Amino acid sequence: MKPDSTDTPANESVAPPLWRGLDELEASPEYQAAALNEFPEGATEFTDEPSRRRFLALMGASLALSTGVGCNLRPASQRKIVPYTTQPDEIIPGVPLYFATSATFGGYGQGVLVRSNEGRPTKIEGNPDNPSSLGGASLHSLASILDLYDPDRSRGVTRRGITAGYDEALSALRAKLSAGAKIRVLTETTTSPTLGAQISRLLTVFPNSRWVQYEAVSSASAREGATKAFGSALRATYDFLKADVVLSLDADFLCTGPGHVRYARDFADRRKIRQNGKEAADIAAGKRTPEGVKADQVNRLYAVECMPTNTGAVADHRLPQLSTQLETFARALATELGVMGAPAGGALSDEAKAWLKPLADDLRFIAAKKAGDKPTERPRGTTVVVVGDHAPASLHALAFAINAHLGNIGQTVKLAPSTEVTVADKMSDLKSLTAELAAKSVDVLLVIGDANPAFTAPADIDFAGALKSFTDDKSKFTFHLGQRQDETGVLCEWHVNEAHYLEAWGDIRGHDGTAAIQQPLIAPLHHGKSAIELLAAVLPDAKDGDDKLGVPAASRDPLDVVRATWRTWFAGQKRDESFETFWQESVRAGFVSGSAPAAVAPTLAKNWAADAPASPPVQGSGEYEINFRACPSLHDGRFANNGWLQELPKPLTKISWDNAAFLSPKTADKLGVMETYYEWNKGAGEHGRAEVGIVEIDVGGKKIKAPVWILPGHADGAITVHLGHGRDGGRVGRIATTPGELNVEGKPVRGFNAYPIRTSTAPWFVSAKVAMVAGEYVLACTQGHWAMAEKDPISGKLLDRKPVRKGSIEDYKHNPSFAKIPPTASAETLEINQNIPLPKQKDGKNGHHPHDERLHPLNMYNPAEVLSPGLKDAQRRRWGMAIDLSACTGCSACVIACVSENNIPVVGKRQVTRGREMHWIRIDRYYESVTADMKGAKDANAIKTYFQPVMCVQCENAPCEIVCPVGATVHSADGLNDMTYNRCVGTRYCSNNCPYKVRRFNFLTFEGNDWETDTLKLGRNPDVSVRSRGVMEKCTFCVQRLRGAEIVAEREQRAIRDGEILTACQSACPSGAIVFGDLNDADSAVARWKNEPANYGLLAELNTRPRLTHMAAIRNPNPAMPK
Amino acid sequence: MPQIFPKALNPIAKMLILAAPLLAGGAGVTGAAFYRSSYATGLGETPAQPVAFSHAHHVGQLGIHCVYCHTSVESSGFANIPPTKTCMNCHQQIWQGADLLEPVRNSYKEDKPIEWARVHNLPHYAYFNHSIHVAKGVGCATCHGRLDQMNLTRQNSTLLMEWCIACHRAPEKHLRPKSEVFNMQYDPSTSAKWTAEDFGYNGTLAGKPHPALSDPAVYDAEKKEFKDRPTSQKDLGLFLKDHYNVRDAVTLTNCSMCHR
Repeated sequence: MKPDSTDTPANESVAPPLWRGLDELEASPEYQAAALNEFPEGATEFTDEPSRRRFLALMGASLALSTGVGCNLRPASQRKIVPYTTQPDEIIPGVPLYFATSATFGGYGQGVLVRSNEGRPTKIEGNPDNPSSLGGASLHSLASILDLYDPDRSRGVTRRGITAGYDEALSALRAKLSAGAKIRVLTETTTSPTLGAQISRLLTVFPNSRWVQYEAVSSASAREGATKAFGSALRATYDFLKADVVLSLDADFLCTGPGHVRYARDFADRRKIRQNGKEAADIAAGKRTPEGVKADQVNRLYAVECMPTNTGAVADHRLPQLSTQLETFARALATELGVMGAPAGGALSDEAKAWLKPLADDLRFIAAKKAGDKPTERPRGTTVVVVGDHAPASLHALAFAINAHLGNIGQTVKLAPSTEVTVADKMSDLKSLTAELAAKSVDVLLVIGDANPAFTAPADIDFAGALKSFTDDKSKFTFHLGQRQDETGVLCEWHVNEAHYLEAWGDIRGHDGTAAIQQPLIAPLHHGKSAIELLAAVLPDAKDGDDKLGVPAASRDPLDVVRATWRTWFAGQKRDESFETFWQESVRAGFVSGSAPAAVAPTLAKNWAADAPASPPVQGSGEYEINFRACPSLHDGRFANNGWLQELPKPLTKISWDNAAFLSPKTADKLGVMETYYEWNKGAGEHGRAEVGIVEIDVGGKKIKAPVWILPGHADGAITVHLGHGRDGGRVGRIATTPGELNVEGKPVRGFNAYPIRTSTAPWFVSAKVAMVAGEYVLACTQGHWAMAEKDPISGKLLDRKPVRKGSIEDYKHNPSFAKIPPTASAETLEINQNIPLPKQKDGKNGHHPHDERLHPLNMYNPAEVLSPGLKDAQRRRWGMAIDLSACTGCSACVIACVSENNIPVVGKRQVTRGREMHWIRIDRYYESVTADMKGAKDANAIKTYFQPVMCVQCENAPCEIVCPVGATVHSADGLNDMTYNRCVGTRYCSNNCPYKVRRFNFLTFEGNDWETDTLKLGRNPDVSVRSRGVMEKCTFCVQRLRGAEIVAEREQRAIRDGEILTACQSACPSGAIVFGDLNDADSAVARWKNEPANYGLLAELNTRPRLTHMAAIRNPNPAMPK
Repeated sequence: MPQIFPKALNPIAKMLILAAPLLAGGAGVTGAAFYRSSYATGLGETPAQPVAFSHAHHVGQLGIHCVYCHTSVESSGFANIPPTKTCMNCHQQIWQGADLLEPVRNSYKEDKPIEWARVHNLPHYAYFNHSIHVAKGVGCATCHGRLDQMNLTRQNSTLLMEWCIACHRAPEKHLRPKSEVFNMQYDPSTSAKWTAEDFGYNGTLAGKPHPALSDPAVYDAEKKEFKDRPTSQKDLGLFLKDHYNVRDAVTLTNCSMCHR
């Protein structure tokens, strides 16, 4: 390690600076002014029109304030303490409990641990023991707790919109379920063994019934591809821990899909470069420890995709291709690799052709260490080709063939029978169901769960119309069980409110088929019923089997029903333990061990490429390829009323509250968007309020309007739209609908609805006519907020401070400490790096340079040993954090985890456009291009993307502290930059003086925080103050968790163990890119990370001494690839 | 135009101008005095309770241990108010028919909790933790007063921040041996011997001698008996501060110790 080295990186030429957005490239004087401005224009002003109503409200409030204070000096004195009448054994008031369960998402589960404060679930974390989680959690799992407390959830039973009773609904349903009745059951994807068994039983008892599963964002083509390749609907899971080379064909495997959390963890482990990391032998043996790998074991990722994804962003090589060209590319690659029977491809672009040879070589050979040597053959089964769910089935089959050719099947690609109950062709099933409803040839429709085809069905299947006419016929019967009265629910005769997964017993399977028991954390808030409970109540009593096993046959208790399923399974397992032991352990651990289906080793079918299309369709001139993708936060629309997910700046695009038509700068040029783009954006741009143009997309006569967002790196000639926005039917709720704020089509809803141009024949991409139309629309993009911009006092230009230090593995091998070279003062590398707090070393020294002593008088942070020499060693803690940018995928789960843990308010789109969003963590996105100008931005092939999470770095020399006039932000002895809300008077000087721009100010009592809504109060973390307006707030390293753990450790008279405290962001991070701990513990994980040469201090040249440091983003490009 | 004020008012006006700082200062002093008055802080206040529970009877006369009812005081930040079941443990045997206990019986019968009025109210932004104070040798009576003498529970402390901070700055003034934490009659000047309980050991001893036995400051290995503990609060407090690993004043007065 040479921290003192000032060597330049291996590639001598000075790399162009990274840029955050197109407006930064344009660098208009307005942009520069905005970047230097502390808050975007409008953030600090109250610019709403004064209204009579508001005037009266203010007058009323001040009157209440003046009189209220006089009358009730101590409102607290009227507080009550309400103990239990009989206290449950396991509850100690004030000490939270954690329960394992599984978060439901699109039919698959993800193991989670849920914190329960006196019976109220308050926080979701990943379950380290569950194979779908390994401790991380997806943003949907994390945000699902807000759905539990959503005040707009359905609160009761209705019949044609009129309140009714559950018993009435049940008896009406029972009356209709007769042997002759033609029953149709509509659900989403189901992996629940119990629910599956119940519905199967219903199908047997009522022989004229059928089960339709519909999922708008489904993996149907992957399954079809597996059927082509292997003759049966196998499901693939991947082992990225063992994969040296990964090729992703439009697969965002790091951020979408049921297994992405696990995949991100495995993949990132091969990206973290550690001096004591895993060796080749450890990897081959499948070991998970030690963390990270040695520098020569870093994996390599190639991504070919249309819409930039987070997976593409962390790839070493990324090739933008139209979705229609993807298969052509894959065929050419298969031919290059020599895959037997690969169909012939069509024409490819020059860039794509240049990829084929080096890519194929990399998949087959390990490059020679020295030039001139012959490359060695790559061991079989150490690569992966993974294809996105939206690719056609023939491409999936082709990818299986390539994987088989490379020997990956059974090694890095594991195949097992699908764990979905009744694998069905969802699209054609929905089509025939719609036809039956329209023809009224069935009697009963039972809709269960989140399946909401009235909103999500393709445009050519008029499910809503058919359902409406069916329900209008009084002789027909429709019954809906759902958490909200969605578009489908309001069209049904009966609606029963469904229980949330945190309110009911159930079971579900994860991405690899491992089942988990879901246990209720709270009694249903609105007396909702689970699907299992409903079906148990209407199915006739079981007459056989169950009672032999000791279950009362007639029990309709959902717990008994779930237990009965597993008792039956257990009986066939031949285990030593008793069923009760097995059951208790399965519920406690959050998964059923040994429940995943065994992997099979299928052989490739001979005719796997038989019905592959000759060549992909060619677009007509003047047409564009429209790609449909699930929204990264709202998915297919089911989270439309979740304020956390709506407000989350979407990973990569950084747009909050809306969707847009994403296109490349070149396409924007062609459409004529570019010319006007900058006119509108002057001074604002991506600074929150972005006024953008509107395009009309015309697919076969069906038209929608969409705001345009120019996204560097998008494939030219294509446009991507996200599904799930623009819900205007049903009773979606107050977050999704917006009286007073119209969307691009003039409707009072969030975003535009893209389903009307999606057809069942082309669910993922289609060619369309696109044209600019008049008008403009405001999008809220947060990328431009909180710029760490600084003007050079002499030249007047913005300084390039290289917040993201990045390099290739060659750079790293040349000088492992390359990231430590500060950009603006490289001659002072040594001094600046001494100013980064380092962990105590194994030899007992504390890692500070001897020079450090001269800093102490200047340092506001006085280490505890100076203050109190007698303090015990274990109590002398220095908290620190490190973030590995090589592992970060920008998925934003940390943001949601932070919001959930720290009671961070939702502010609403209008406030975001003013730069008033409250997220304590921001994930900055940086682009790199060949040249940092518009010409570079238009070269989609060369765009590289970097993510950098930035929260309060807890400076030891904190600039915020010296400017606070009231001492509301001061240092603690363990090195935290404490923020005392009750002392803050809201001068905002601290934020002004913060070079990292990580402080957030409550400009208003944000309505999203919703002081008045009872259900939302239940979900708050009781250990964190809920802040009011006029108060500054920021990341505290989850100080409530620190103090809680300290108290427990002190009580037990021991030191805090490394890893005992996980901050919310750290515990959520799927890829494990964040580590936190005590710098005074030389053996801690954070000490290991900070001792790595790639560790650097963000803006450390300012002498802030950040306790949070970053590790350089190190990529592993293939030298043989075209530049 | 005639003069509005007669000339005789001039000296009064002058005096008023001179007195202005005094008046402003007086207002400040009055404000501060009011803020710290028992009216504003609630010191000594006895809120009405749904059941006239007497600590004097249960603790002082019957000698029931604090933790019998407040079970979570050693393991949680919140020292729980006992559930109705705890009352009924005894009161389904004794005083079954007493009118005074009507609300307790009703609560138990109807499974409806008793809503007690909070006596010691901390603001929402102050996160006080009972368990760590008890573990470090802060007695119940230090903050809550002589509950064994209170018929109805009253607020014993001002709960002003200065009151909290005074102890955090100099905890040695209030620390007591752990064996005396729940003792209402504790007086540091009474001479007594150390006990093993004072140096409570967490975890299994596994046959090994108690660590307190190897500490020459508390145990006389020759005589095989515990030594006398100091009888002045100052000596005792400093000794305990060191032995109980109570942290330094700067750490204890960090904002994030109590505010999150």
